Parts: sequence; C-alpha cells; structure tokens
Amino acid sequence: MISRPIVAGPLAGLLLGDPVAGMWAGAILEILSLRQLPIGANRGWDTGPAAVAAVAAALRWTAGPIALLVGVGFGVVVGWVGSWSVHWMRQFNSRLVAVEGQPLDTPSRLTVRHLSAVFVDLFRATALTAAAVACITLLATALADAAAGLANVVAGLLLLAFASLALGVDLRMMARGRRVWTAAGVGAVLGVILAIWLR
Amino acid sequence: MAALGRTVRLRLLLRSLLVQGSWNYRTMQGAGLGFALIPALTRLYRDDPEALGEALRSHSGFFNAHPYLSTVALAALARMESERTGAEQVERFKRAIVSPLGSLGDRLVWARWRPLCALLAFLIFLLGAPWWVAVGVFLTSYNAIHIGLRIWGLRLGWREGREVGHALMGSPLRRLPDRLTIPLAVVSGAVVPLMALTLGGAVDVGPLSTIGIALALAVAGYGRPGLANRLAVLGLVVGSLAFVLLGSSLW
Repeated sequence: MISRPIVAGPLAGLLLGDPVAGMWAGAILEILSLRQLPIGANRGWDTGPAAVAAVAAALRWTAGPIALLVGVGFGVVVGWVGSWSVHWMRQFNSRLVAVEGQPLDTPSRLTVRHLSAVFVDLFRATALTAAAVACITLLATALADAAAGLANVVAGLLLLAFASLALGVDLRMMARGRRVWTAAGVGAVLGVILAIWLR
Repeated sequence: MAALGRTVRLRLLLRSLLVQGSWNYRTMQGAGLGFALIPALTRLYRDDPEALGEALRSHSGFFNAHPYLSTVALAALARMESERTGAEQVERFKRAIVSPLGSLGDRLVWARWRPLCALLAFLIFLLGAPWWVAVGVFLTSYNAIHIGLRIWGLRLGWREGREVGHALMGSPLRRLPDRLTIPLAVVSGAVVPLMALTLGGAVDVGPLSTIGIALALAVAGYGRPGLANRLAVLGLVVGSLAFVLLGSSLW
C-alpha cells in the first residue's frame, strides 16, 4: 500500500525535504486516481511512480500551488506512461508463464517464473521512477522561473477546480442515488462549518 | 482428509500477498495461484511427484479474482486437493468461484473501503493533523480490512471447501459495501470545502465564494462524470504544461 499516492507522496516528500508538500501532491493524485478500479484486465495509472514524480517535480519548482499544479500534472503524465509499461510487462509475463515445452509442473520452475515476474515489475517501476525524476531535473534546470504571485493564486484555483470535479466523478462512479446526495450534502455542510471554524 | 498444519496455512497466507506478481493476459492470476498453493500441494503430494506436477499444472491455469479474497479460493482448493477431489470438479469450482470473489472484493475494497480510507486520511490532514498521522490512519484502517479479509478468507475456504460459494452468499460481507456508501459520501462532501479553504484561501473573492465554486464543480463532476473526468485530467496536464512553458509571462 505504500504505492498509493497518499502514502508514496508524503514519503517521497520526506526524502526530498518537504513531506507536507508531498502529502498535498499525493492526496490530489489519489483523488484523481480513485475511480480507476483494477477490475479484470483494467489498468489505471501507475500511481506509485506517478506520486514520486509529482513530488519530485513539485519540489524542484518554487513553493506554493504553482509547484503543486506542475507536480501533479507531471505525475499524471508519468502515471499514464506507467500504465503502458504495465501493459508491456503483462505481455512479457504471458510469455514467461507459457514457455513451450516447459509447463509449470514443478515447484522450483513455478517459483522461479513467478518471482522473476515480481522482479521485472520491481525493475520496471524503479526504472520508470528514475527516468521521471531525471526528466524533471532536466526540465527544472532549463525552466527555473515559472512562478509569480498572481500565478500562484490561479494555479491554486485550477488545482482546486480539477480536484473538486474529480471528487464528484469519484463519488458518482462508486455510489449514486438520493441517499448519496443527502449524505454528501451533510458532509459538505460539516466541511463548510469546519472550514469557517478553522479559518 | 489430511489436515494442513498452522505453518502451511501461514505460508499460504504470506504467499497470497504475491498472488498478482505474475499477472498476465493469458492466465491472469493463474501462476500466482499455483505459486501460493505450493506449500499445501507439496505437503499433500510429498510421496507422489507425478500427482504434484499434475496439480501444479492445473492450478497454474486461468484464474482471476479479487487479490484479497483469493485466499478463499486458495484454502478451498487446498481442502479439495486434500480430499482428492477429481480434476474436473476442481476446474469447475475454479470457474464458478471467480465471479463472486471478484464482484464482492471489487465492490467492497476498490469501490468503497480504499476511497473511504484515503479520503478520511486526507480529511484528517486538512483538519490540521500532521502528515504522518494521516498516513498512519490510512495504512492502519486500510490494512485492518485488507489483512482481515485474507485471514477470514483462508479460514472460510478451508472450513467450507467446495461449498464456500454458498457460505459467501450468506456472508455479512455482501451487505458491507452498501453500508459504507453513506460514510464515503459524507467524507467526500466534507473534503471539498476544507480543500478549498487551503488551495483557494488567498483569493480576493473570499474563502466562502471559493468553497461555493469548489462545491459547484464537485456537483458538476457528479452530474456529468464523463465530461468532467476528461476536463479534470486534460485540464490539469494542459494547465501545468502552460505554466511550465510560458511561466509568469502568462499573467
């Protein structure tokens, strides 16, 4: 479960020096990827590398919402590329478990093939994460000053807009009906009261 | 019926954690199921390598279920093997159990429990808890059900054997996804205003207006999920690219 963005994000942030920014990037990526249910052969974004890349990108930039927006946007792209790498790995695994003339009929052969696939996955995710972090390092060096005071506000609003839209979609995908509306409304009222109180 | 000792059952449980390790388009979780069953099969067929080979080949064929509930099938198959059930019956059982396990696990874990735990953790963070408390809440609450399901499945599968399908039908777990719907909706609703308070807090129009905009967008997302989904993801990528490429010259 450390591959979920809400865990991988703050942990990557901790390694890079800012776990709170990591938590924000991870939580927003989590909201964006909640509706991707790994049912059957369905493959969603590869959320672990996406979260690490998002945090690495966010912390390469200046602080604030603009960094978060850039980070999460980059994370989405990495997650999407990651989902294709998962597809290729699954094709590789199809060949690995069905080598002609070598049926999986001994414990050692089955164990070796299965664990090989596990290590291939580990290598794939590590390579993807490393490539993403290298890529953002190059980008950050070339385009260092992308922030301004006003841009930060707009970036925050954009991020909020996308996350709110996505949360609505998440809820619709998972549950629907009048009960759900009412419960979400009650939650929203509670949230508003808490927000006013916290302010 | 040859009993499987505690150590073998523990090994089945631990190996079930890797059941998706060699997921592929040909047999899906098949090789993972065979891998997880090795401790039980080597114990049951220790004097008969030919039967062991046949059982491994059979169990490494097609199989796919929710990974957390795969222990139900694992234990039931181990029990059937211990009773020397015929290969055709075992194959029929595997085909029949795939859908109920998948459907129950997907609805309960992917569509309810995981989002609920993640959003609850985010909500706690938004309310001011340190990040590590939020992460701890997510990991603890999520894994309580995750590990609990695996252990419960292992016990149920071993106890019921080939009748485990009937036991699943009468299980209280079937009603749990519906019971989690309301808490999930409440937490989802509460996250939006609190997120708006932080992300849109610096805007001149005031926090209440920002919260209103965020709630309206969440409602729009709920009402038109297809369009909103594309808007949210594409907009995010295009927006962040615009910031990267054009930077402060945009504003």
